[in-house]
Amino acid sequence: MAETSGEAGAIHARGLRKTYAGRKGQEVVAVTGVDLDVAPGEIVGFLGPNGAGKTTTLKMLATLLKPSGGTANVSGCDLAADPLGVRKRIGYVSQAGSTLPDAPLMLEIESQGRLYGLSTKEARRRGLELMEALDLGGLERRKSQNLSGGQRRRLDIVMGLIHRPELVFLDEPTTGLDPQARANLWEHIRRLRDELGTTIFLTTHYMDEADSLSDRLLIIDKGEIVGEGTATKLKAELKGDSLTLTFSGGEAAETGEEVAAGLEGAANVVRQGNVLFLNLPDGARALPGLIKRLSDAGAEPIGAELSRPTLDDVFLALTGRSLRE
Amino acid sequence: MMGYLGGVYAIWLREVKRSLRDRGQLIGGVSRPLLWVLILGIGLNPYFRGEVYGEVRFVVPYTYLQFIFPAVVVLNILYTSVQAAVSLIWDREFGFLREVMVSPMPRNLVLLGKILGGATTAVIHGCMVLVVARFVGVPLTLMDALAAIALMFTLSFGLTSFGIVIANYVRGFEGFGVFSNAVILPLYFTASSVFPLDPALTRAQTLAIYPEWLVVVVEWNPLTYAVDAMRGILINFNQFDPTFDLRVVGIMTLVLFLVAVWEFRRV
Repeated sequence: MAETSGEAGAIHARGLRKTYAGRKGQEVVAVTGVDLDVAPGEIVGFLGPNGAGKTTTLKMLATLLKPSGGTANVSGCDLAADPLGVRKRIGYVSQAGSTLPDAPLMLEIESQGRLYGLSTKEARRRGLELMEALDLGGLERRKSQNLSGGQRRRLDIVMGLIHRPELVFLDEPTTGLDPQARANLWEHIRRLRDELGTTIFLTTHYMDEADSLSDRLLIIDKGEIVGEGTATKLKAELKGDSLTLTFSGGEAAETGEEVAAGLEGAANVVRQGNVLFLNLPDGARALPGLIKRLSDAGAEPIGAELSRPTLDDVFLALTGRSLRE
Repeated sequence: MMGYLGGVYAIWLREVKRSLRDRGQLIGGVSRPLLWVLILGIGLNPYFRGEVYGEVRFVVPYTYLQFIFPAVVVLNILYTSVQAAVSLIWDREFGFLREVMVSPMPRNLVLLGKILGGATTAVIHGCMVLVVARFVGVPLTLMDALAAIALMFTLSFGLTSFGIVIANYVRGFEGFGVFSNAVILPLYFTASSVFPLDPALTRAQTLAIYPEWLVVVVEWNPLTYAVDAMRGILINFNQFDPTFDLRVVGIMTLVLFLVAVWEFRRV
């Protein structure tokens, strides 16, 4: 049993874990143990690089994968004891989209509705309503191959919402869309939450998406949640401005790393090849002094960039690597 | 329960409509029998007659067109059924399969909907061949046609299950192309589809005409018995015991379906 009793639309997971048997019988850990709580009506961004365990966690919560350990309560139903209850209450929109390219939209929507026990008439009625809400009105006879990327993603969301789930999982909803279509989709997702009260749990590896769409972020790396909070809070936790120093070679960067680590106030020093990342309070004032010390040590940087912290810096500080890798 | 049946219906309907929209598949379904019947059938027709091999007289009392026609029906079903693999690979590459799996539908019913859809399509493709029956000297009564459809459906159900099992092991569409050349055609050619093993001959006499390995392969190919059963229905000619034919087809279908159910647990 999960520790907290679950309410509709909420998620409470404790120690959710997934391991596979490796080729030589050893245990391969995909997700080490995830604790997470999502409140009803929240938009939560689940952020992590490829291979961090994002998709595995999502699949476990959506009953597609059986957890190897831990408990979870999804939308009021226990994941292990009542997976069918969970399935009835959640929607899932996969990354790849699910509609056949040459099928008229309404046909696919009706088909989806019937999977949830709706009558054709009811599926059609709800489909039209949702299409209207997602700016797809009048397109029901179109084929999905003739839709734009953004329209296709919205169609996928219509399909995921046809049975009025309390909680919907969106797997990388805007991957492959142009910036304008992405901003437009964020708008729609926010409105869904505001109007229907649907809890939205989305995975993403875009910082800007996590930043501007989600109420709250969960950052996962190597199968564990490494950070949690609003984007503002996570950024505030970083001490100071972020500074990126580029050196002419790895050796110089190593020397630079030693110098920077000894600097008063410097935090989150991370070196990647010949590039050094760190946080520095009042960076603009401290930078000239740092560069002088580096020159004295024989490791003069060939480039320096100073900026206000971004989520990417948060990520780098938490995981030791950049999300863009 | 009614809700679940609606779901099976939805998956079935989606499958059938999808294949009817697929022009490539339809063109294949029409051109395959035409090629086999027109080119191979008519071309070999004059050479298909009784021959004497020493002491052995080798006779099939039918024209080659009549002889090959039931096999062409089976060929069309074989191709179309196994296409279900392509449809499943497609659903897997895209998200549909995952979305179905997240729905409250039990997995076995999802599978059933898929198989019924594939089998229905295959029967439609089989019937496209039956349409030309009268032009190749195979007169059909209504009862013959119904019996043929029942056999087609049973066979399609099994072969679609086979396609789904294959889909589980094939990554991507290219793999499937390789598979269809490596498996479908050999299965077809060794099903006594294009040449007869004369039922009037003793086994010793058969072995005098054909190399033993070929006879063994034909006898062990379950499709041989499907083709034979189809011949029994359409031209009233059997090389094997008709009840044995039906038993083989029935058991093959059941086994393939159970394997598909087993495999589908971990899609």
